[in-house]
Amino acid sequence: MQLIVTAINKAYASVQAVKQVSFQINSGEIFALLGPNGAGKSSIIRMLVGMTRPDSGSIMISYQDQHYDHVPRRLLGYLPEDRGLYPDKSIEKNLLYLAQLHGLTKAQALTEMDGWLQVFELTERRHDELKQLSKGNQQKVQLIAAVLHQPALVILDEPFSGLDPINQEKVVEFLRQLKARGMTVILSAHQMAMVEKLADHMLLMAHGQVVLAGTLEHIRAQGQSQRQMKVGFAAAVSMEQLQQLSGIASAEALSGHYWLLTLADTVTVALCLQQLLQLAELTQVEMQTADLHQLYLAAMAKHQPGGAV
Amino acid sequence: MISRQSLIVAKWEFLRFFKWKQQLVSYLLMLAIMAAVALWSFFTDESRQQYRIAVPVGFSIENTEQFQFQRPSISLDAQLAQMQTDDSWHAVLTEQDGNIRINTLTGKKWLAQLEQLLQQHYRAVAAQKMGLNAEQLAQLEQPVSIDLHYLDQSYKGSERPEKMIALGALILLFIGLSTAFGQVLMSITGEKQQRVTEQLYAILTPQQWMDGKVLGHSFSALKAMLTSGLVMLLSFAVVSLFAKNRLDLSWLDIGVVLWLIPFALLGVVLCASFMGAIAASIDDPNNSGKSAVMMITWLPMVFTYLVIDSPAGWGMTLLSFLPLTSFAAMPVKMAMVEVAWWQPLLSLLLLLGAVWWMRRVAGRVFLRGMQMYGKEPGWAEIVRWALSNKAD
Repeated sequence: MQLIVTAINKAYASVQAVKQVSFQINSGEIFALLGPNGAGKSSIIRMLVGMTRPDSGSIMISYQDQHYDHVPRRLLGYLPEDRGLYPDKSIEKNLLYLAQLHGLTKAQALTEMDGWLQVFELTERRHDELKQLSKGNQQKVQLIAAVLHQPALVILDEPFSGLDPINQEKVVEFLRQLKARGMTVILSAHQMAMVEKLADHMLLMAHGQVVLAGTLEHIRAQGQSQRQMKVGFAAAVSMEQLQQLSGIASAEALSGHYWLLTLADTVTVALCLQQLLQLAELTQVEMQTADLHQLYLAAMAKHQPGGAV
Repeated sequence: MISRQSLIVAKWEFLRFFKWKQQLVSYLLMLAIMAAVALWSFFTDESRQQYRIAVPVGFSIENTEQFQFQRPSISLDAQLAQMQTDDSWHAVLTEQDGNIRINTLTGKKWLAQLEQLLQQHYRAVAAQKMGLNAEQLAQLEQPVSIDLHYLDQSYKGSERPEKMIALGALILLFIGLSTAFGQVLMSITGEKQQRVTEQLYAILTPQQWMDGKVLGHSFSALKAMLTSGLVMLLSFAVVSLFAKNRLDLSWLDIGVVLWLIPFALLGVVLCASFMGAIAASIDDPNNSGKSAVMMITWLPMVFTYLVIDSPAGWGMTLLSFLPLTSFAAMPVKMAMVEVAWWQPLLSLLLLLGAVWWMRRVAGRVFLRGMQMYGKEPGWAEIVRWALSNKAD
C-alpha cells in the first residue's frame, strides 16, 4: 500500500485550514501528524477518510496493483477525534455491530475480538455495557473497533488523549502490533514521547502548513540549530574561563563540576574538546540531542506570530 | 437496492428499541388499568343505588327501582333540615307557580336521571291535560325515521362498519408515525451526540446509513401498528363476547386491510425519511426548534379525517393521489367507496417515487449536515441540498 498526498488545500469559509500539504506513506509505516490545536491535522484526516474533499491537490492510494483517487472504505480503519460508541450496549455488541458493518461474519468478528480484548485485558468485561467502563477502557474499545476488520490503513486521531501513562504505553504496544501485522498507521497526537518511540515518519504542522517533515533524525537535523554538550571537569572551572574559549557560544553551570555548553557555529567538536582540555581534565563528555518535544516546541515557537519563520 | 450494510443498520436500530419484556409488561399494565377502571366504574355506579325523594302534596308518580317518591307529613323547612342532618331524603321536590325545583345537598350523577324521569312525568301530565292518551303521546315522542338513499352505488355509506376500518387505519397510522417520530429523533441526534456518526461514516455511505435508519424505524412503527391493531381487535372481541355473547367480525374487509399494508409500509417509510432528514440537520436537539417540523407528517391523517365524510369528493380524491398524503387517504377512501382497480395502483406508484426521492434527500442532508461540524444548517441550505442532484 502506498499513499501519496500532493499539495492539498482546504478552506472553511474564510479560514485556510490546510495549505499546500504533501507527504507520502509506504506500506507498514507509522506516520505521525503533529501540531498544536488548529494546525490542520484533523482537516487532513477528514480528507483522507473522505468526509471532505480537498479544494485542490490530490490524494492517491495504491493497493494490490489498484490505484484510487480516494481511500476506499474497505481499506480503512478509523478512530475519529470526536468519538463514541453506544453506551447502553455491551462491548461485545458494539464491536460485533461495527465488525459486521465492515463485512466480517459473526464468527470472524468474535475470533478477532477475542484477541484484541486479551491485548487490552478486557476479556472479562466483554458483556459490560460501555457506560460502565472507565474513559480509558472505552477508548481501548474504540481502538479495537477501528482495527477489528484488519484494514490496510488505520487512521487514529489523537489515540493517546484521555489515557493515563500506563494505558498510553498499552496503546504504543497496540500500535506496534498493528505495524507487525503489516498495517499502515496514520496518527495525530500531542504526546511527543509516544510518537518518538513509534513513528517512522512525521509531519509537524502549524497554521495549516508543513513546518518539518521526515524521519526523527531528519527532523532533528532540520530543527536542531544548536549543538550542545554536557561536560564534567576533574577540577573547578569558572564561567569566565569558559567564556574566553572561542569554541563556546554559551555555558550553563550544572551541579558539581558539570556544565552544559553550547558550541559556537564555526567550531568543530574536536577543536572544542582540545580547548576544554587546556582548562582541566575531562571526566565526562556527552553530546546533547534534542528530543521531539524540544524540536516541536522550537519549531512552533518559530511559527508563532512574531517568531522567526 | 438496499445494501447488506443498510440491512445490518436496520436490524440494529429495530432491536435497539425492541424491548419485548418492557412491552409485555406495558400491555399487562394497560390491561390491569382497564380492569381497574371497569371495577371502579362498577362499584361507584350510582344508578344501582336507591334514592328517596320527598315530593309535594298532590304529586303523583310511580316509584322506580332507583327512585322512591314519598310525601312526608312534615313541613318543607323540616324536610330540608332533615336532609342536611341525616339521610332521610336525597332530594326534596317543590312546585311553586308552575316552577319545579329539586333541592339537594350537592351535585350528583343520579340527579340527571331524576331530571329525565321528571321531564317524562310532566310531559305526560301536560298531555293528559291536553286530552292525549298514552298511545298518542308515545307517537309524538317517537323520532321521525329518515332513510338516506345514495344513487352512487360505489358509496358504502358513512354509518356502515367500513368507517370503523377507515378510522382504525388513521389511528394506527398515527400510532406508527408517533413511534417513528420519537425513535428517529432519538436515534439520529443521539448518535450524533454520542459521536458515533463519524466512525460510521468511515464504514458506510451516508445513504446506506440513512436507509438503514429509515428501514429500522419503519419496522418499529409497523410493529407498533400491528400490535396496536391486534390489541384493538382483541378489545373489540372481548367487548363483543361480553355484550352480545358472540364475536362478529363480518365488518372486517380483508381486501381493504390487505391494501392498507403496502400503503402503511410506504407511508411510514416516506415519513421516517422526512423525519430522518430533519433529524440529520439538527445539531443539538435541546437547542433546536427543527424537531417540531417532524410533526408535519401527522398532517396527512388530519387532512384525511377532515374529508372522511365525503370520501368521493374532490378533496379526498386529491389527497388519495397526492404522494405526500395518499398513504393515509387512499386506504380510507377504499374503505368508504368502491374504487377502480387502477386507482390504488397508480397511487402506490406515485408514493413509491416520493419515497425514493425522500430517502435520497435524507441521505444528502445527513452528509452535508455532518460536513458542517457543529454548525446547524438553515432551512435555505436544507432545501438547496434537497433539490440538488449532486452525487454523495
